[in-house]
Amino acid sequence: MAADEDPEPGPLVRMFAVTGGRARPVGEAFDVIAVVTTIGMPYDQAGLSPEHLAALRVATRPTTVADIGTRLRLPLNITRVLLSDLRREGLVSIDPPAATAGVLNERIYQEVLNGLRAL
Amino acid sequence: MDYARSDTLAIKILIAGGFGVGKTTMVSAVSEIQPLSTEELLSDRGARVDDTSGVEAKTTTTVALDFGRITLREGLWIYLFGTPGQDRFWFMWDELAIGALGAVVLADTRRLGDAFPAVDFFEQRRIPYMVAVNLFDGARRHDPAVIRRALAVPGHVPLVPCDARERESVKEVLLTLVRHAREMSRVGA
Ligand SMILES: Nc1nc2c(ncn2[C@@H]2O[C@H](COP(=O)(O)OP(=O)(O)OP(=O)(O)O)[C@@H](O)[C@H]2O)c(=O)[nH]1
Ligand SMILES: [Mg+2]
Repeated sequence: MAADEDPEPGPLVRMFAVTGGRARPVGEAFDVIAVVTTIGMPYDQAGLSPEHLAALRVATRPTTVADIGTRLRLPLNITRVLLSDLRREGLVSIDPPAATAGVLNERIYQEVLNGLRAL
Repeated sequence: MDYARSDTLAIKILIAGGFGVGKTTMVSAVSEIQPLSTEELLSDRGARVDDTSGVEAKTTTTVALDFGRITLREGLWIYLFGTPGQDRFWFMWDELAIGALGAVVLADTRRLGDAFPAVDFFEQRRIPYMVAVNLFDGARRHDPAVIRRALAVPGHVPLVPCDARERESVKEVLLTLVRHAREMSRVGA
């Protein structure tokens, strides 16, 4: 595991540094597979951490919250706090997942089954 | 804008079960990315759920969360989330479960009761789920009917043995879950 080679402080220590101890995102709740898209890089970077800027760079290509967490190697809850900051600043948009269980249809189930079989 | 196209889709599947039942192993067996296993710091809300005395109001609670991904094709992904199915974490499950295709409840025959809270959770919320009985070395093989009864799992819910370390076995579990979710959607429609 990469975590074993990682000389950095543990995730919780990092988290407190990154979010200032906040565990809840600001504003409307969003899903762990919601899609984040960078609207633009900040004119003024004051108040943004390196992690905020890294998230903005990742999301220049629309990316799920979970994938951004993986890229930044941060816990998902922390990633959500950071992304909610960026949304508040008008730097990213966060859209609900393309589909939720309610709209999964026969064709999608079949496609998932075929995809899994072909793995 | 990959995600904006209507033929792109991210699907969520949950892996629940007691401590040490094989959740991380299962996610690792099929994930194309090094599964991210994080200690999630729970919200104030979560801390309060745990806190009955008021004395430990500033104590934070953490929970392990595994995250893995499978690309079925460009534009179609399965996201796997694994986390302990324990009462005090349900508020987190509530969030994760929204819009999920379904859930796998991992059970260990040596500690069957650990699977019960998760079974109960998905039953109550009518989220399609199945039970995968992880066959640990040295564990006695159990009659599936006995396990089903012990967990009060209804007859239409799939209950299968698996080896969470084996990719093919985990693939088979996921196929079973997706078939079951499709079946449930047909019945509900
Ligand atoms: N024999 C056998 N061992 C398994 C199987 N699945 C997992 N294990 C082993 O059981 C141990 C626990 O597995 P984990 O995947 O860490 O379990 P977990 O549910 O993630 O545990 P926590 O995150 O601590 O709750 C590991 O040593 C695995 O190698 C299985 O199907 N058969
Ligand atoms: Mg684990």
